Amino acid sequence: MSRALDRAGTWIGWAFFADLANGLALTFGYMFSRSVTMQYPDKEKWLPYARYRGHHFLKRDEAGEIKCVACELCARICPCDCIEVVPYEDENGNRHPAKFEIDTARCLFCGLCEDACPADAIALGQQYEFSSFSSRDLVIGRDDLLAKPGKAATGGGVVAARLNTQKDVLVETNEPRGYNWWRNIRRT
Amino acid sequence: METVVALGLIVFKVAFLIAILLLLPLPLTWLERKIAGHIQQRMGPMRVGWHGLLQPVADGIKLLTKEDHIPAEADRFLFKLAPILALAPPFVVFVAIPFGESISVRGTEITLYLSDMNVALLFVIAVIGIEVYGVIFGGWAANSKYAVLGSLRTCAQMISYEIPMGFAVIGVVMLAQSMSLLDIVRAQADLWNVVYQPVGFFVFFVAGLAEAQRIPFDLSEAEGDLGAGFHTEYSGIRFALFMVSEYVIMLLVSVLTVILFFGGWNGVLVPLPPLVWFVLKVAFFVYLFMWFRFTFPRYRYDQLMAIGWKVLLPLSLANIIITGVAIS
Repeated sequence: MSRALDRAGTWIGWAFFADLANGLALTFGYMFSRSVTMQYPDKEKWLPYARYRGHHFLKRDEAGEIKCVACELCARICPCDCIEVVPYEDENGNRHPAKFEIDTARCLFCGLCEDACPADAIALGQQYEFSSFSSRDLVIGRDDLLAKPGKAATGGGVVAARLNTQKDVLVETNEPRGYNWWRNIRRT
Repeated sequence: METVVALGLIVFKVAFLIAILLLLPLPLTWLERKIAGHIQQRMGPMRVGWHGLLQPVADGIKLLTKEDHIPAEADRFLFKLAPILALAPPFVVFVAIPFGESISVRGTEITLYLSDMNVALLFVIAVIGIEVYGVIFGGWAANSKYAVLGSLRTCAQMISYEIPMGFAVIGVVMLAQSMSLLDIVRAQADLWNVVYQPVGFFVFFVAGLAEAQRIPFDLSEAEGDLGAGFHTEYSGIRFALFMVSEYVIMLLVSVLTVILFFGGWNGVLVPLPPLVWFVLKVAFFVYLFMWFRFTFPRYRYDQLMAIGWKVLLPLSLANIIITGVAIS
């Protein structure tokens, strides 16, 4: 009996295009759902998580001296051989790098240099906007690496930003807007 | 003096209509891309103008300045003729389409239609048929496999769907006892035809979808298997003409559906100006077209033919018989 009813229901549904109506209802629902687009260069910018491996930077100690002791372990462990370190000894007998160059065009951002460093001097930060028209500009020297921004305390959010064609994408506020758009994706 | 004023009015109305029909595809493309974006959880055009409103203008400039390429092996005359043949009929059809009764400007009554033909419906259906020539010539003249296959499909599709479309409107004509679109709308003042003719509406709308070559019946330009169908080889402004004609036909089918089945400018419940009612109804059907496009998959070719000949044609014939019995 119920089977016959089921079959009748199927036929009624077929005759009145129940499946097409279902599809239309679904797309109509999607039409008014929040869009997942992040308007990256124009309005918003993704702030990566703290564990993100972006552009390298060199750290300084409390005295403002460079932490790096020029042991060249990072250059040794680098799988793509993109770090070049030339050491020197200062008047107190401490080793420091005279030259510390990273070819970011070759770097694969594995973070092994950060792991190998015995002096906790090099790390990979959050900056990811450093494209260039020339691969020569991607070889970053010691002083530039010291000036690079370090790891941010917060991350994993969308912040307001604006495209500045002269400089870069400028972050307008440091406060993450605090929504995780992956969570807002409608899955059915 | 009288005739000069009347003539001037007609010329003005024609110019106004052509301007509107030529400009409407611009906001419609924007709307279509926005609807597509939001259905797919994207945003659609956002960068040119406020929420991408000037995007169609940018696209238009791009299409105007692009190279107008004609393939070496193409039949040059037909190749140039085809976009015009595809574009002209949808514009011509609007001669017979009423947009309302009349409005009075400074005491003069101005009718909202160009001509009240007594065979308007026949004229409309006949002229829409000519549009097929543009498509066939376009595909044939380009001398390309994709284009020929696309135009073959379109030809078969349009011929099979024009028959149920023509039969579907007969029920409406029987109810109104007239082929004039004005009389058909006047006959629906109390109750819309869709109540009397649900089957006729269904057949007409599905055939209209096929006629406008919209998804789920856009086999003629199936991107996946034919490149772009009959206009594969067209570029620049000629391609734009095909696109304009496609949008005008979409508009035309919406307008016809509203006039024939949804009471034209007759409103219900809410007292709005008749023209506003008309525009709202047409806008709803245009939206429906776009909504369909981003919901349904495309039919296979044999399914398309089966729907046309095995479902729509018997349905429309049965509709005529039942309407005839019910009237008498």
